[in-house]
Amino acid sequence: MSDAIEIVALGGELEISRKREIRDAFTLPDGARAVLVDLSTVTYADSTALTELLRFCVTAQRDRMPIAVVIRTRQFSRLVQYAGLAGAFAIFEDRDAAVAYLNERVKP
Amino acid sequence: MTRRIYIPLILTLVFLALVAIVLVLAGHQVSKTIEEAFSGASDVRTARIMVARTISLQLDEETGVRGYATVRQRILLQPYYSARAALPVSFARLRRVLTDLKMPGTRAVLEDAVRTNRRWVAVVAYPIITFRRVPARVQLRGKRLVDRFRTDLDFVENSLADRANQAQRRAQQAIYGVTLFAIGAVAAVIVAATLFTIQQYRLAARLERTRERAEEERRRAAESRSAYEAEKRIADTLQGAFTQNLLPRMARVLFSATYLPAAEEARIGGDWYDVLELTEHRVLLTIGDVTGHGIDAAVAMNRARHLLISCALVDPNPGAILERANADLFRKASPLITAVTGIVDARNCEFVYATAGHPPPVLLEPGCKPRMLDFGSLPLGVVGDAKYRSHRISSVPGAMLVLYTDGVIEHSHNVVEGEALLLQAVEAAAAWPAHNAAAMISASIFSNRRVVDDVAILTIRFAEDAGSTVGRVA
Repeated sequence: MSDAIEIVALGGELEISRKREIRDAFTLPDGARAVLVDLSTVTYADSTALTELLRFCVTAQRDRMPIAVVIRTRQFSRLVQYAGLAGAFAIFEDRDAAVAYLNERVKP
Repeated sequence: MTRRIYIPLILTLVFLALVAIVLVLAGHQVSKTIEEAFSGASDVRTARIMVARTISLQLDEETGVRGYATVRQRILLQPYYSARAALPVSFARLRRVLTDLKMPGTRAVLEDAVRTNRRWVAVVAYPIITFRRVPARVQLRGKRLVDRFRTDLDFVENSLADRANQAQRRAQQAIYGVTLFAIGAVAAVIVAATLFTIQQYRLAARLERTRERAEEERRRAAESRSAYEAEKRIADTLQGAFTQNLLPRMARVLFSATYLPAAEEARIGGDWYDVLELTEHRVLLTIGDVTGHGIDAAVAMNRARHLLISCALVDPNPGAILERANADLFRKASPLITAVTGIVDARNCEFVYATAGHPPPVLLEPGCKPRMLDFGSLPLGVVGDAKYRSHRISSVPGAMLVLYTDGVIEHSHNVVEGEALLLQAVEAAAAWPAHNAAAMISASIFSNRRVVDDVAILTIRFAEDAGSTVGRVA
């Protein structure tokens, strides 16, 4: 995996009580060229957490930074479909596929 | 806090009690030492007097005998006889005192002196008194015996003097020791009292700080509570004002709706629904949810409702309504809003709708299982140029549409389970020709579940006959 790919990993239930943790996780260091959002163990996200995820994805896309989101649980996948992410961003069930997707886009 | 008060006090009292006990024991020991020292000193003094008395008596003996030997006058023997009578008594008293003083070595020397005196009497005094002529060697031997006697008694005297000095030193040391201990004890008491005072001062300061903190927390809690209650009153008022109370009456379409506020007061949010007659047969439906809770969410909800209706009046195409509203909300940095907008046409049972990050409508047609309709676009306010697709559903008389907010399916945090429960509830409610399908769905889901987020449900049922109906809020 390329060093330029920054990984954001969160798990469990993402709720407003974890807002600071979520915001911190979605703060990228300078120099990141692509980001892998690993939410493979997330089972639920309230509207606050979904908003943070959406804004992060939109900002990355606006900055032309390749972004891939890994989602595995059925419950969270359904929530993400509601939020319209599935049509707007690259969503993967398989982390390797997500990494391959990003590697393809960060090639010099 | 009580323990903090009593522990230093108890420790100080225990320390002072220990000091007092040690002082009493030490005082007793010192008293005993001094008493022994003074008692011994008295015996020593008596012994020394007796030594002097004995020497004096022996001198009387010698003087008497010498005088008699020179002038042969019997009267000069008077001191000799007096001393002879007194010396045994003097020796006996000296023996007793030396025994009491536990000075066996000195007593042995005294016995030597006693024996020497006897020999002097036998070999010097008696011949001089008895015979007129006494050889010079007798007198010479007498001198040696007297010297030996004196030496013995000097030894006794010196031993007694040493004992007196020892006793005095012991008494002085005891007094010195007890003085030092008394000074130490006083210092210890002062230190203990100082530490106790400091501890008490710190404790008092800590108690004061704790009291002030508790007072501050109480004050903040009261302020927060007051602010919260004020915000809740305003939010409730706005929510009540915004919630649709009267649904339109239409031929061939039956509306029902319900709204349940969150059980947890702080969760009261920005859910809404609207039903607006556009023409005799066409109705605009909107249902949505503003991200967040409280006054801000309620105000944002109000703005979104009016914006959606305004946009519908410009172009009643659901996708276009959402796109136009989204552009405006994005420009004004609105909180994220999820919504479904739809147009119902009662004449042909048609339903055209578009979704924006919102759970999909449910459609139940006679003889079929309820199903989720298509959905999937970003919420309003995320991207300024987001596209929203209109979906067209041509249904049949007797069909029922159900629109709802996320609180209906996210109560257990398992949305898959929530969807299944909703579909069951819709199916059960549709089996009854009641006017309050929304309330029935709500009751079916939440009869034994807590309402953790606001819940809004709107149902639209196409009539199977030509009768008109009146919708109402349950």
